[in-house]
Amino acid sequence: MALGLLGLKVGMTQVYDDKGVLAPVTVLQIGPCPILQVRNQEKDGYDAVQLGFEDKPRRAATRPERGHVSGELESKRRRARTAAGITLPAKANVEPQRYIREFRLEAPTDLTVGKQLTLLEIFEKVTDVDVISKSKGRGFTGPMKRHNFGGLRGSHGVKKGNRQHGSIASNASNRGSGRPKKGIRMAGQYGNTRVTARNLTVVRIDAENHLLLVKGAVPGPNGGLVMVRPTSKKG
Amino acid sequence: MKNRLLKLIEEAQITKNSTYKMKEKEKDGKEVEKVVKRSIAEFRVGDTVDVHQRILEGQKERIQVYSGVVVGRRGEGMAEAFTVRRIVQGEGVERVFPIHSPKLAKVEVKRTGRVRRAKLYYLRDRVGKATRLAERKVKGEVKGKKKAAVAPPES
Repeated sequence: MALGLLGLKVGMTQVYDDKGVLAPVTVLQIGPCPILQVRNQEKDGYDAVQLGFEDKPRRAATRPERGHVSGELESKRRRARTAAGITLPAKANVEPQRYIREFRLEAPTDLTVGKQLTLLEIFEKVTDVDVISKSKGRGFTGPMKRHNFGGLRGSHGVKKGNRQHGSIASNASNRGSGRPKKGIRMAGQYGNTRVTARNLTVVRIDAENHLLLVKGAVPGPNGGLVMVRPTSKKG
Repeated sequence: MKNRLLKLIEEAQITKNSTYKMKEKEKDGKEVEKVVKRSIAEFRVGDTVDVHQRILEGQKERIQVYSGVVVGRRGEGMAEAFTVRRIVQGEGVERVFPIHSPKLAKVEVKRTGRVRRAKLYYLRDRVGKATRLAERKVKGEVKGKKKAAVAPPES
């Protein structure tokens, strides 16, 4: 997975390109994201970069959250470790972060803790991106809305069941085991899951206001957290 | 209320689309690229307008004028559009133009119209004389003549 950035979904609008063609776009407010931690093969067993996004007030943060981003916060453990001659891990020395996420990397990186990553550094030459976020939760939902089933007939003897699915098994299905196949689609929780919208075209980058405009829709509500990375779909 | 950042993008676009470049032939046959300002007049539903559109034909660009009565306005922000109705060869034609499209070069109000509704769909069912609309009275204007035009009586 390539290194990406964190941000918020602002909302949708329309933009004209140079030829005067209108395109529907989602506006994302991306970064700047400080690097909070760099994972490596030797210590953690994998390579990754941990990013933060959006400062939150110190009074709203817990002590572990403050200690994670600041090297100056005093604690008994830190004092004891320095006294024992152990070098403490590097800290970003930023305000506590509202959102913290990791991006797995294929190879070790030479990025260092504390660097502020901006939109232009990561996405300047990128034409297509993947956007990962949590979809809107719809609660316990019937099969028509959840799986686009057709439902039953409105009349002709259907009693109160016109939005149900049909049969889920027969004697012949699943080799006569007497129960439905695993993974049969039914009613249940819909949404509020991690969804990746892949291969979205980058329409515009506004570095000054930290805005990224991608073509089409992005999962999740306006104001929700999004992770954006260069697309993995094109080899 | 619209998000501040969304507004920012839309407003930047509106200012960007407020001018356009056009090649013009001068007397000595030279082609010169000129920056022309887009002028969209303030118009209301019921007005008769001339819509100047930029049309690209191969490499050449020309302006086509479509005139008719504005029968409706819909949408807001970047998505705002208006509908213009006219009669072409005895057949009613309605065209929808996005207000902020860079392809619109100019909108001119030719005649105002006094109407009492937002959408003039009733014009679709009418032909000829019945489609006429009364001119809108503007404050300080006396029946067809401007107040200033009325000469003060000589003493």
